[in-house]
Amino acid sequence: MSAFKNKSRRQFLIETAGSAATLGMVSAFGGISSAQAASFPDHNMDVVVGTRAGGGADRALRAVSSVWKDYLNTNFEPAYFPGASGRVAYEVYMGKRDPDCYNLLFGNMGPELLNWVVKKPTFNLDDFMYFGRVDTDPCCVFVKADSKYRTIDDLVAEGKKRKLNVGTSRMAHPASVGILAVGEKTGAQFNLIPLSGGKNTVAGAVTGEMDFSVLTSGSVIAAGEAVRTLLVFNDENVMAAKLNNAPTMNDHFGTDIPPLLSARAFGIHVAAVNKYPDRFALLQETFKKSVQDPAFAPAFKKAKGTPEYINYGGIEECRKYAEEITELGARFKSMLSGKA
Amino acid sequence: MGNEPESGSTDNSANDDVRVSLGGELILPIMALVFTLYYFSTIVDSPWTAQVNAFMVGSLLISVIVLFLLRMAIMVSRGEADLGLGNLLQPAKLLPSRLIYIVLIVLYLLGIEWGGGFTISTFLFLLCAMLLLNKGKDKAFVLGLSAGLALLGYGVFIIAFETRFPAGPFEKLMQGVF
Amino acid sequence: MEIDLLFFINLFLDTLSYWWVIVPSIFLGLIVGAIPGFSAANTIIILLPFTLIMEVEVGLIFMIALYSSSRMGAGIPAILVNIPGTAGAAATPLDGYPMTKSGRGQQALAISFVSSTLGGLLTTVLAIAAMPILAKVGFYMHSVEMVVVMLFGISLIASIAAKDTLKGLIAGFFGLMIGSIGADHVYATPRGTFGFLEFYDGVPLIPALVGLFAVSEALLVIEGESVLVKKKQIEEDHSSWNETIIGMKIAFKHWWHITWNSLIGLVVGVIPGAGASIASFVAYQQSRTYSKTPELYGTGHPPGLIAPESANNGVTSGTLIPLLVLGIPGGATAAIMMVVLQYQGVNTGPRLFLDNPTLGYGVFMAMFVTYLFMLLTIMPLSRYMSRVTLISTVYMSPLIISFTLIGSYVPRTYMFDMYLAFAFGIIGYIARKTGYHVAAILIGVILGPLLEQYMLRALKMSDGDVMVLFRSDLANVLWIVLVVTLSFPYIMKKFRSRKDTPPDKPEGQENVFAKD
Repeated sequence: MSAFKNKSRRQFLIETAGSAATLGMVSAFGGISSAQAASFPDHNMDVVVGTRAGGGADRALRAVSSVWKDYLNTNFEPAYFPGASGRVAYEVYMGKRDPDCYNLLFGNMGPELLNWVVKKPTFNLDDFMYFGRVDTDPCCVFVKADSKYRTIDDLVAEGKKRKLNVGTSRMAHPASVGILAVGEKTGAQFNLIPLSGGKNTVAGAVTGEMDFSVLTSGSVIAAGEAVRTLLVFNDENVMAAKLNNAPTMNDHFGTDIPPLLSARAFGIHVAAVNKYPDRFALLQETFKKSVQDPAFAPAFKKAKGTPEYINYGGIEECRKYAEEITELGARFKSMLSGKA
Repeated sequence: MGNEPESGSTDNSANDDVRVSLGGELILPIMALVFTLYYFSTIVDSPWTAQVNAFMVGSLLISVIVLFLLRMAIMVSRGEADLGLGNLLQPAKLLPSRLIYIVLIVLYLLGIEWGGGFTISTFLFLLCAMLLLNKGKDKAFVLGLSAGLALLGYGVFIIAFETRFPAGPFEKLMQGVF
Repeated sequence: MEIDLLFFINLFLDTLSYWWVIVPSIFLGLIVGAIPGFSAANTIIILLPFTLIMEVEVGLIFMIALYSSSRMGAGIPAILVNIPGTAGAAATPLDGYPMTKSGRGQQALAISFVSSTLGGLLTTVLAIAAMPILAKVGFYMHSVEMVVVMLFGISLIASIAAKDTLKGLIAGFFGLMIGSIGADHVYATPRGTFGFLEFYDGVPLIPALVGLFAVSEALLVIEGESVLVKKKQIEEDHSSWNETIIGMKIAFKHWWHITWNSLIGLVVGVIPGAGASIASFVAYQQSRTYSKTPELYGTGHPPGLIAPESANNGVTSGTLIPLLVLGIPGGATAAIMMVVLQYQGVNTGPRLFLDNPTLGYGVFMAMFVTYLFMLLTIMPLSRYMSRVTLISTVYMSPLIISFTLIGSYVPRTYMFDMYLAFAFGIIGYIARKTGYHVAAILIGVILGPLLEQYMLRALKMSDGDVMVLFRSDLANVLWIVLVVTLSFPYIMKKFRSRKDTPPDKPEGQENVFAKD
């Protein structure tokens, strides 16, 4: 048992080596936490979720926790804080939840990192970190199945004649950034209309109220025959068969933008990591096992997720993604915030 | 609550010989007015999307309040009404116990939050409130009833449904037992 | 999903399997319905902690069963002691109570039960039949149309305010303003939050609901000795089963009367703001107008009891149509259901039948099954229904406070929400004591954010051009209907004032515009 603990702590130290402060804290608290971790977790894990119950994030969370709970031998209790584009959840999590490794945040890195670009939160961003990515779901452009727009070029051509209304789930969303990038490249005019949530965004396109919509492709695949995908914001169209063989942004327009993803991930207080390194190590390790567990993909599929998009990521992958999306978001800040 | 209690000065106005007291009716419009002005102050620098609805609804609200105040001023100047509180504080003999009751509710909430926990706070609140309202009669029955209800609440909400109320001494004690 | 006969059969069988929720809810509803001033709305609010924790289907079936049966329960004291349990039963005592006085109380109860149940069953079937057509509405309702639809809902305020328009409007606009608290729907700018994070997501509806309705009620109710104002001793009915059977026979003989009046209820129920009280008076009025023996009305004439009872149960299903199809609550109970559904992540409105048809139809199926169970369970018990117990406010009021504050805590587990419910309780208390309608405030709080969301969408799509609200044909039709509907309560008021007040006018029926 103690060998296991030591190994996982070493692993943890390597992964967080970037932060000297963290390192110091870990050594300082290591002895105490070791004893505490023995009984961890002795009650439910509480997960703050930034969307409403029943949405994509919620389903993904349930799928992960259905596997993860067996590794941790405890239940996961989600608490939903929709509103202000996920901001509420982060503020609640950082402001009201104890940094004790029992409280986690399950978020969508893309849209939520873009929030901070538009308006800084009240807490210090360095006090929060993502540590476990579940999936990477690229955003895409889609129209209703019987739309007169057959290709992305049709849309761009029309967008040069008049401003097109584009349904998006939130302003500060990778998909919104993606379509703004298309506009920047081609000179087409796009008017982003936030429809709060994936269901509404699909509905916006299907009912014809919007000229087209942008959204994460998982939700578009779930919409089935009702919609047709015209462009994917990823390095390759992993799900080409289900996304109408749509081209990718960089291929089609010769741009060089990072993949625009919805990347659902667990985050945690840095203070909790420092105070309870053993608990955190256990979380990291069991999380990785859970995502890579053969039982996870079927659970994820059952939860209407796209198993092909399952893509484990640790602290490092999460940090890299955060940097890229933050930089791109800053480029379109004025259009996302409504302020010049 | 489909049956609104028949209260308010509109009913009093039936008594022609008595002047209507409209002071109580001023409270809500003044609250609304102050709130609306505060709301406006929070959106001065915001994008238009944050402002349009508030300015529309808010200006309608302010206009209606102004009309209301005008109507009231006319009634007062004609001697048809005064600015007394009407039946807001009526019946007078119930006022002290109602005020104590309200204080008890606040203490109840503070008790839950500040360490009393759900069960003990609920028990004490029910006990005090029921004794207050029945003027101290049937003490044993009230004691049993409030203890029973508090325990029922504990069993249902905390044990069965796992609602996370702030834990107090009782909950911590029971946690040790289970 | 294929909506065919098989779908309905499956749904019916599925709903039947929830008998364990339905049957207890029916009895609970009957009892609370029978306590004057204690409507289904109160009960749902008080039991909110349970409703929120239940699975969405169970919670919904519970609410529906409670709602339907409390409507019937409200007729009991109306008939027996001349006190309508809710405003919706205000026309019931007109002929029901004279029947009791002449020793036919048991008969009257049986008539009331049969009329209520058949009226409810029939209108529910009609509502289910109409749904496939109404459900298509979702495809045509865009943001602009929804703006008008939300105004329909908000027009409820105007009809609630019929007694004192200015005060009603102040309450309603104040509610809309409170409903605007929170982050803006496009750029997420926080507004009017007093610096509280808990308000970013808007005003949480359950604390608002609990405070405005229940806490204020609990503060008021201590003025009376008991919830049921005991006007006179309920006369023990010594009659035999025979009376019940005679009553049932009379009711069945008037099947056409039941059909016609429940249809009136259905139609009136669909109109926001025109509730059970209006429907029952309209039904009573037209029943007497077209009767061959109008002089018998008010003397204990069975059709005078059948008309309001079948009509107010018709309203029950009617009220749910705008809630489910358009997402606007027609009255307090519907508003509460909407709040609970929203909490459960189910958004009522045009998309409901496209996204979640099982739930949409399930609501009406639950109502159908409830009425079916009522027919089977209540009729044999009607004999004993007259024994209504008295509950002292001394014990009720603290219990209401405690339970409803817990209810406001459950959804988000914020202490903040309990304090907020208390604050709304004080606002509600002041409002009630000074003649403002808490329902008007609540409608504003519920619909305010929805109206703003749709309006912003429409405006953002047109780059801020307000005329976009008048550029859609469908929206323009809706605008016209809105104007017509707005005048409806005033027409009804005139209609009512022309009506002769029958002898032995029951107490507590001033407030006929408050829909429960």
